[in-house]
Amino acid sequence: MTIYSLYIFDKHCTCVYYQDWHRTVRPKTAVEGGMLPAVYAPVYPSRNPDDASYSNRNTLSSSSGIVVAVNDDAPPASQVSQSHVAQQPPQPTSSLPFDEEAKLVYGVVLSLRNMIKKLSGKDEQFTNYQTSTYKLHLYETLSGYKFVMLSDPNADSLRFVLRQIYSGPFLEYVVRNPLVDMDSRERGIDNEYFRMSTDRLVRGLTVFQ
Amino acid sequence: MAIYGLWVINKAGGLVYERSFGDGLPHLTSNEYLVLAGTLHGIHAITSRLSPTGSSSGAHVISGETFKMNILLTATGTKFVVITSLVEPNADSMLQKVYEIYADAVMKNPFHTPEMPIRSEGFDARITTLLG
Repeated sequence: MTIYSLYIFDKHCTCVYYQDWHRTVRPKTAVEGGMLPAVYAPVYPSRNPDDASYSNRNTLSSSSGIVVAVNDDAPPASQVSQSHVAQQPPQPTSSLPFDEEAKLVYGVVLSLRNMIKKLSGKDEQFTNYQTSTYKLHLYETLSGYKFVMLSDPNADSLRFVLRQIYSGPFLEYVVRNPLVDMDSRERGIDNEYFRMSTDRLVRGLTVFQ
Repeated sequence: MAIYGLWVINKAGGLVYERSFGDGLPHLTSNEYLVLAGTLHGIHAITSRLSPTGSSSGAHVISGETFKMNILLTATGTKFVVITSLVEPNADSMLQKVYEIYADAVMKNPFHTPEMPIRSEGFDARITTLLG
């Protein structure tokens, strides 16, 4: 029972946040101009390595999930873990760049929502769908934000988890954060506190392996 | 525990058979069913590409709040979709039986053109006995 990834889309239909945990096929870097800054550092196509929004301190090594602090005076322990990370075989990358993948996810979610609404005749919510290798859960807020989570196929409905992410870390560190511009069409909502607290919340779940 | 509808979609995404049972879901026009079936065909293809762990099948259960759809994709590309209430446990076996009836009454019918809409009394009658 495990959780693969989380996407958050705003009401302008763009992906404003992404985080993954156990995904085995790595997301590919987005094309230039396809993605907003401040969504997910490892796939953002930055030409200059010292981009101000992603300083050297934010180096979550995406292949292993281990935070490797990169400082000038790195202690020997992190040297060992760095070489351990380097020895892992390169993981397969998805054939789709990240921005296209996010758009596909949004498109699937939107089309399914409309289909279910049409079929049921009332204002019915689409909740989740399941394939042979993953299950996608949707939680939509009244303000138009869509929280999408991918988990393994045997999980029960994780809508309550998405609700918890909304009422906990999202309200605290995004809505009530004066430095995060929520309605901007130019930036995502990635910030350290939000990322850490969502990570803590998800890793603390019983369904997370 | 109720079944609301059954669709059969050919490999190009066109709806070839549609049947509603009871009144769990509102009745739509045949055009609307055609559009929904085409949308579902496309969604099914996309869902197999979004897998976070390599290759995956397309979606085989899609749930709403009061009903769910089970989808069976056969080796020939035909999709059988059954719309049931949320607690229906037998949807997958039902789909297998519908597939068997399809193979018997439709595929073995020498007057039926493949991938065309199904107009067969035998198929209709056997589906009624199976699903009510």
